[in-house]
Amino acid sequence: MSKVSIGEFEEIVMLTVAVLYKDAYGVAIKKDLEKRSKRNVSLGAMRTALKRLEKKGFLTSEFGEVTAVRGGKRKRYFKVTPYGKKVLEQVMETRKRLWDAIPELALDI
Amino acid sequence: MAYPRDIVPPKQLIRFFRWFCDPELVEDLEGDMIELFEERSRASSSRAKTLLAWEILLLFRPGIIRNFEGNKNLNNYGMIKNYLKSAWRSFMKYKTFSAINIFSLTIGMAACMVIFLFVKDERSFDAFHEKKDKIYRLCEVQSFPGTNTQNVALTMGGMGPTMATEFPEIESFTRFWNWGDQLLELGEKKITIERVAGVDSSFFEIFDYPLILGDPGEVVDEPLDAVVSEEVAMKLFNKMEVVGETFVLDGDQCIIRGVMENVPENSHLQFNILLNIKSAALDNPDFDSQFGGNFLNTYFVLNEGADLENMAERYPDYLSRNTGREDVNERYKLYLQPLNEVHLASMDIEHDYNNHRKFNGTYIDVFILVGIFILIIASLNFMNLTTARASNRAKEVGIRKTIGAIKGQLFNQFILESIMLSLMALIFAIGLTLIALPFLNALIERQLTLISIFSDPLLILIILSISLILGILAGIYPSLYLSSFRPVIVLKGFKSYEKKSLFRSSLIIIQFSLALGMIIATLVVIQQLTFMKNKDIGFTTDHILLLDMNQQTREKYDELKQALLNESNILGVTGSGQRLGNNLHQWGYKVMYDTGVVSVTPSNVFVDHDYLDVYGIKLIKGRTFSKEFATDDGLAFIINESFAKELGFEDPIGQKAGHSWYPNDSLGTIIGVTEDFNFNSLHYKVNTLSMVVHTDWGYSEMSIKLNGENIEQGVKDVERIYDQFVTDYPIDYKFLDSHFEELYKSDVQMGSVISIIAALSIFIGCMGLFGLASISIQRRIKEVGIRKVMGASAKELVALLSKNFTVMILISFVIATPITYLFISDWLENFAFRIQIDPLIFLAGGMIALFIALITISFHVIKAANANPVKSLKYE
Repeated sequence: MSKVSIGEFEEIVMLTVAVLYKDAYGVAIKKDLEKRSKRNVSLGAMRTALKRLEKKGFLTSEFGEVTAVRGGKRKRYFKVTPYGKKVLEQVMETRKRLWDAIPELALDI
Repeated sequence: MAYPRDIVPPKQLIRFFRWFCDPELVEDLEGDMIELFEERSRASSSRAKTLLAWEILLLFRPGIIRNFEGNKNLNNYGMIKNYLKSAWRSFMKYKTFSAINIFSLTIGMAACMVIFLFVKDERSFDAFHEKKDKIYRLCEVQSFPGTNTQNVALTMGGMGPTMATEFPEIESFTRFWNWGDQLLELGEKKITIERVAGVDSSFFEIFDYPLILGDPGEVVDEPLDAVVSEEVAMKLFNKMEVVGETFVLDGDQCIIRGVMENVPENSHLQFNILLNIKSAALDNPDFDSQFGGNFLNTYFVLNEGADLENMAERYPDYLSRNTGREDVNERYKLYLQPLNEVHLASMDIEHDYNNHRKFNGTYIDVFILVGIFILIIASLNFMNLTTARASNRAKEVGIRKTIGAIKGQLFNQFILESIMLSLMALIFAIGLTLIALPFLNALIERQLTLISIFSDPLLILIILSISLILGILAGIYPSLYLSSFRPVIVLKGFKSYEKKSLFRSSLIIIQFSLALGMIIATLVVIQQLTFMKNKDIGFTTDHILLLDMNQQTREKYDELKQALLNESNILGVTGSGQRLGNNLHQWGYKVMYDTGVVSVTPSNVFVDHDYLDVYGIKLIKGRTFSKEFATDDGLAFIINESFAKELGFEDPIGQKAGHSWYPNDSLGTIIGVTEDFNFNSLHYKVNTLSMVVHTDWGYSEMSIKLNGENIEQGVKDVERIYDQFVTDYPIDYKFLDSHFEELYKSDVQMGSVISIIAALSIFIGCMGLFGLASISIQRRIKEVGIRKVMGASAKELVALLSKNFTVMILISFVIATPITYLFISDWLENFAFRIQIDPLIFLAGGMIALFIALITISFHVIKAANANPVKSLKYE
């Protein structure tokens, strides 16, 4: 396995970005995240995670058009990179292998 | 875009966000926030604002905050960061030195802080009255024949009202008549309340003692109107709303018109209940125009521009008109004392009974001086060590200069370093003060707190700037010195560059002169205090219990005395009108000479027959009072030696004398002469004194001499017997020796402060010496090695290495001695009974300093002298 490390929160953020596809910008990601994971996410925590992921090369981002709402500020849309996709798959693969390795009786508590 | 009015995001918050946010993130994050805000505003705009603030707070985190470090900006952040880093590294590299540096500054600052708190506390006395600059206390200088001239804060009852009408400068007056402890009756309940006093109706308009209930202009308007403190209100009625309640005092029903806050500790007047002053003179309509006895304090408010000297010129005329006595101006001189001098500048006033915690103001100046001294010593230490350590930083300076640093930059670097150290010292000093304050408070009986500093922004600013200035001042010389190194020389090798430093030696000399001065002063102060403690004052103060008398004990005096005397632990019982330890009151007195009757005014006290025996006062001539002679009750006088000398009889025994009101043809007789004993404090000379017995006058105090081996039991016996005789009044007693301790409290406290400071200053001085010794010996280590190889013994080497320091201490001694002598003899002037300054004290002080200094450096000296020379010589 490669040396890529990715945290649980980062993973969820990346998946959400993937889910939202063309519509993945700050507020949308935050709302979707909160809806699905049923926990409160602050803009700060989310934005730092996004920044980190972008720096690691899992995500790219670009500005959208200027609109009349949002105080005239542009949205920043995020997209999962091919490298990011590979990492997500790796993570899932690892999990899957682990699940497969669990003896059937171990979880019959 | 324009928002609807109520959903505009708070501007300041957004501005704050824009300030701290990374420029790369600012646009989309702000947009996200505003979008959320707009959405939330539709539900509730206030909630939206709160959430926005919360969101921004959570955004204030690494990752979002922009890079404030300078390398991208055109400023000095990077350089300053580098300065701080190299300061920290050199700090950590030479831990001992840095610790000595900071620690000595810390101690100096902490000492200063404590002194500052103390001085601030003392200076805060009576400062809470709005009219404080216009309030004056009337005082008298009394020069009666046959007694020492004295200043007196007590005045006559009529002076306040009559002067207020005669002198246009006087806006208003109030009198303060201390009635001491009084028994209050509340129906069946009887309670003794301490510190009851009578005042004029204007009292609360002149002084700003805050009232909780009642109008300052009205609360003590009529006789029998009373104002009680919160504490008394709770004690009497168990509630605060007591206006309209009544109590009985001395048979009169008094009505409470107001409740005041408890009188603060920093007020020279202390009272729990105030009554209109006329309450004590209900059947005396002439009270306001009475002259004669001095028994109360008078305060005036003067108008703007009142000329005290001009007023003083009119006092004689005023006195002679009002008292109707020709000689009054020979005996009395009036003067006004400003309110702000009452607490700190009343040491020359002898009869000064309403002056709570009176303190010798000159000691305040001593404290300030001492505080400055210790700060100087600490800063000199700092300068000295930093300069001495310069060689450690020389290479750094050389390289910085080679790379292109200019002198100014290097100067700034070292100043910055020094400021940093002094600020660190300040922080430690605050901590140290916090730890030390409880102990100090116990020692000097104060309630000093650091809070009084931190509640005042101005003071915080002052303290910060003082530390800054200290940092700059202490850093200036080392910085100049360090920044002036020539790079070629220091990079080539610094060692030959350094010569003996006259500057550093003189700093050491100044430090040690100051420390030495304080050591010597401490020794003298301690000697004087011990002298006062041990001086035979002519009577015994040990194991004497003073029992306050009241109506019931006065009525049953003889029975009570007999019952007490039956106890085995009680060795003697006697009564008196006044307590020893103050100046005793002066009364008019007559003496019959061949040529006629002469009036004199000695101190007087009326006593019980066995007074001299109980107190162990020694007779020189004649006999003591005896019950066998009926005339000994009122017509026999025992005088002291001073008075006998003053009278001038060849043999005073048998001479005719008496109180001024005795008719000339029925005077009493002088029956004895005692040794002079110090009935007043040792600050004052022994005044002339006459003692007399008046069994029918009612003693104010009973002196009970207990068996020293069984004091506890003795006190229990007194309490038990007291309870058998007295039902209405709780017992109130005090020990005479504790009363005497009180007399010298101000002196003892000064003594302890000086001792502590002296110890600290020598300690700081030695820390500096320790550091310096290590450096200078390090520098001579090769010399030591060679000498050793050539055959010098360890002993010779120790002598050689200590020589320099010994010379410095000797020079300090020569400088410190005369200055200290002047200070000390000036201080001793305060005491009528004082020690002679012993030259040995100076020698002892010098020896102590030298000894401590040598011990301090011996650590390094002995190490160097015993070191293996091979080690120091092998690298060459």
